[in-house]
Amino acid sequence: MDVNAYIESGIIETYVLGLASAEEAAELEALAVQYPGIKQAVDAFASLIQSNISEDGITPPAELKQQIMDALEDEFEEPKMVIIPAETPVPVSQPAKVVQITTPGAWRYIAVAASILLVVSAGFNYFYYDKYSSVSNDYEALLNNQKTLQAYQTKYNSLQQTVNIFQDSAMHVVKMGGVKGREGDVATVYWDTRTKDVYVYVNKLPQAPTGKQYQLWAIVDGKPVDAGLIGDCDGVCKMKNIPTAQMFAVTLEKEGGSQQPTFDQMYVAGKI
Amino acid sequence: MPDIANKYTEAELVALLKERQQQAFSYLYDNYSGALYSVVLSIMPDREMANDVLQEVFIKIWRQIEMYDATKGRLFTWMMNITRNASIDMVRSKGFNNNQQNRELTEAVYDSVGTVSTNIDKIGLRKLVFKLKEEYRSLVELAYFQGYTQDEISKMLDIPLGTVKTRLRAALIQLREIIKP
Repeated sequence: MDVNAYIESGIIETYVLGLASAEEAAELEALAVQYPGIKQAVDAFASLIQSNISEDGITPPAELKQQIMDALEDEFEEPKMVIIPAETPVPVSQPAKVVQITTPGAWRYIAVAASILLVVSAGFNYFYYDKYSSVSNDYEALLNNQKTLQAYQTKYNSLQQTVNIFQDSAMHVVKMGGVKGREGDVATVYWDTRTKDVYVYVNKLPQAPTGKQYQLWAIVDGKPVDAGLIGDCDGVCKMKNIPTAQMFAVTLEKEGGSQQPTFDQMYVAGKI
Repeated sequence: MPDIANKYTEAELVALLKERQQQAFSYLYDNYSGALYSVVLSIMPDREMANDVLQEVFIKIWRQIEMYDATKGRLFTWMMNITRNASIDMVRSKGFNNNQQNRELTEAVYDSVGTVSTNIDKIGLRKLVFKLKEEYRSLVELAYFQGYTQDEISKMLDIPLGTVKTRLRAALIQLREIIKP
């Protein structure tokens, strides 16, 4: 085919100005794909026409723009990150758009748009999942901090209580020294003279073996009275209320305590 | 988003129009309304009706932007053809062309009732028609400005279709030579 003859035949100008028949246009479009020279000639003439017409364009009345913008007001979209909003509904009231959606070209664009949207959506999913994980982790960390703080708070409160008891001048202090053979062991009873509440502070006692527990006794008129078990407590442990006593002693008993003290397991004792 | 004062490439503009962006449409109007208005006025000299046509044209461009295929040509070419078709449709629906056919083809037209009208001889491509060979003028007038098919022109002027085709092509080549810088 003689491409130059074709280009010079006037068909290019006829096509660009919209005067070619459907067959002529289809033929030219097919040839333009095959011969870059034809495409170039089309572009060159189109650009010639565009600049010629644009040169002496006539400004329409100023209010016309606003009028058109108002007419299209409902059709503008918020700026998006997506290239083509595939989910934008095609208004059924516009027949032209319904036709458009049935053309294969439109489907291609919609398919491409849908794919892009899917990818973008997947990206967002990942992004938000990532965010969610990170926030979730942060939340866990905060929760742990909160628990730690609560533990510290509890510890602080009991230590504060211990300090209060130590400083309280109304407390009767009974120091219990180690019995014979256990001279190094020490525990102290703080006996509130107002309320008769008894507190005990373990200065030094061996770790109670498994299944055993230390028990505090008040010796009232020569008879032992259970004053409570020494459990896990920070600082001072609050024991039972003992209205009167002449002596306090600590024995090692089976876990849960005994009715009567096992005297050969006495560790410390002190007279009031 | 890019500033409205930015110059868009044609591809960027089309992409943003497909995203239904108002500022892209605003940019399109600002940059092309003058040229397209002159296309309308070269076919439909009545200013008021030309305004209606231009509004219709921009709404059509907006709603049919998905149909624009950049591989087939420039955006302006596509818009110009929409504009020409809409203008011719308006002229036909208002019965303008009957009046026009009876007058000297490239004569200045003033609205008979004295409303604002345009001397269409000085507008857009029409001003170039004067410079064409005599035998080409009526062909271009009928084909381009009045929208008759070559087949219709052949019957109208009683000239063989092949001759209409050849002469019209020759006329447009001459047109191209006139506007070549």
